[in-house]
Amino acid sequence: MLGMLLLAANIAVAPTGSWRAVLDLAGGELRFQLVIGAGVKSPDARFCNGTACTRITGVRYTADSLVLDISDYDATIRAAIHGDSLIGIYHNVGNRGPRTIPFRASRGRWEMAKAPAALLGHWDATYVTEGRKSPRVFSFANGRNGMTGAVISNTGDYGTFWGGMQGDSFAIAHFDGSFVYLLTGTLDGDTLRGVFHAGLRSQTPWTAVRSTGRPHLTPPTAMTGADTSAPFRFAFPDLDGRMVSNTDSRFAGKVVLIDIFGTWCPTCHEAAPVLLDLYRRYHARGLEIVGLAYEVTGDTATDAVLVRRFRAKFNLQYPLLLAGTSDAQAAAATLPQLRGFSAFPTTVFLGRDGRVRLVHAGFVGPATGAAHARQVAAFRATIERLLAEPRR
Amino acid sequence: MAAPWFLRATLASGAMAAAAFAPDAGAQVPSDLAGERAVFAEWLARSPLSPNAAIAVVAIDATGSSLPIDGPPRRLVERAGVVWIEGNGPAQRVPLGRPFALGKYRVVVNGDRGRARALVYGAVAAGTAPAYYDYDPRLVFAVSLAPPSGASARAEGHRVLLADGTEVTGTDAGTVEVGIGTKTRLRVLRLPDPSPDETTLQIYFRDASTGSGSYPAGRFVTLDPLPGGRWRLDFNRARNPFCAYNAAYPCPAPWRGNSLTGAVRAGERYKSH
Repeated sequence: MLGMLLLAANIAVAPTGSWRAVLDLAGGELRFQLVIGAGVKSPDARFCNGTACTRITGVRYTADSLVLDISDYDATIRAAIHGDSLIGIYHNVGNRGPRTIPFRASRGRWEMAKAPAALLGHWDATYVTEGRKSPRVFSFANGRNGMTGAVISNTGDYGTFWGGMQGDSFAIAHFDGSFVYLLTGTLDGDTLRGVFHAGLRSQTPWTAVRSTGRPHLTPPTAMTGADTSAPFRFAFPDLDGRMVSNTDSRFAGKVVLIDIFGTWCPTCHEAAPVLLDLYRRYHARGLEIVGLAYEVTGDTATDAVLVRRFRAKFNLQYPLLLAGTSDAQAAAATLPQLRGFSAFPTTVFLGRDGRVRLVHAGFVGPATGAAHARQVAAFRATIERLLAEPRR
Repeated sequence: MAAPWFLRATLASGAMAAAAFAPDAGAQVPSDLAGERAVFAEWLARSPLSPNAAIAVVAIDATGSSLPIDGPPRRLVERAGVVWIEGNGPAQRVPLGRPFALGKYRVVVNGDRGRARALVYGAVAAGTAPAYYDYDPRLVFAVSLAPPSGASARAEGHRVLLADGTEVTGTDAGTVEVGIGTKTRLRVLRLPDPSPDETTLQIYFRDASTGSGSYPAGRFVTLDPLPGGRWRLDFNRARNPFCAYNAAYPCPAPWRGNSLTGAVRAGERYKSH
């Protein structure tokens, strides 16, 4: 009997199931749902912000430990298993060293309270840091469990936020393995006031008023300029090392959409399915898409692995090129015909003559609802218009 | 109490000496700080961009600077604010602030026009593991941040070096008062992080232990927000700049005025090698 007990103690109890997960930020709890599954061949897991989930496959566990490798973002959660609790740390690695945030979880599902009607809809927000102001737009709605939201800046949104009311305040969060964001606030008469938490420590106070319909953000097509006096030049290796350039015959006389992206950029993951849909709709009529990847490491072999994984994740059928490393200044240096490049992703639309017709900075994802739909419609309209231009 | 599993795994890793971080002995060390230190030690021991992999810093100018690497001669040259690498084929433009792969080496270029520097990384070497003073709860303060005023409040910001020698623009966030020795107001800068909308409030300080137990150039400490608009200033979390691990790194110059008359025997310590 004792032997059986000892044997049982050494067998890993699978941590599969739903977990109420928390990242403990300095300013409060960032809550998300962690779901660990048995998988077909090996365990998998999902981080869920409401119904918006990020799937990860690098799941390992023993009797007393759990490791979740978030390979898309070079990040890891390591936790000790104590019965129905997980206690550990989340960390990701940049070239300035690791960033760590305490992590914990308990078995079960978060139950979130819905928002009152007075909170729902769109708000024009202003972040204030040491007297400097920066605009955002917030969008709030109620979901099946709690409330969802989007935070939109001049360069796009950060994905779906999810959470609920806690007393007279709300707290909604977004965690996808890379972005660590928490938005807390309180309705004070006609004004919303709160704090935007980023990472472990960063806190930015904000106030917001009801959106009036007048533009609060800089339009995405006004952020980045371009030299239109000559065809837009690019020449970078593909994932097999072959050079691909704008002068290749496959682009001659075609409308070309250039996606400036990085596999490390969650917003780029949201844009990829939309671009693939555009490619499927319009390729036969003369649309080409090229993805220019700007990656973190700068190491060709490492970057190629990440970009291949990105291509497979979305089943992308257009070429992806290794264009450089991931800061905006470095990317701008490789594309000198752009002026004021500032956002990943940025989408450059070329006419059949190879010249820039439009540059769209950033991307607003499905979490923004109507704004996302308007953006997709605008992309299609631009492509339709450029396809209708005469061949030269 | 035994160390949690994920710390035990790190403690077992090769380059980390037991003396560097001993959770059993340091029972007072808060678990989040213990985890932070363990991850940092692991990164230091294994990352290809850790200070233990840095082999040289090269100043770049218009006349060109040779890179101290094996293989064909390579030179970095700055022309009109753009850094190029020459030799062994066509010149290639080198991005700022990000690793550029050169065979088994990596090069990271930082700095403004005319002052750019390249940090060259090779294989990760067995290096010095981080060492810490005993945790001292008396050196944890709840402080108020007085807004910047007068000459210190520069709208254009301050060009400063981060712990890793990266040059960034910091903005004045104000001052905090600390009574270690004589009461002193320490300048706080808001410094950018890689993620959008993420910044940290940092203090680069010197104290009476500087040069005798603590790193001679000074140490960084970050303010953590507390409820009610106050901030936690925990000197147990003070960290050395990377130049403490490898002389290849440029060392941040002390921030004017940020000198404590008392000794801060907490946080990261330093033993010259």
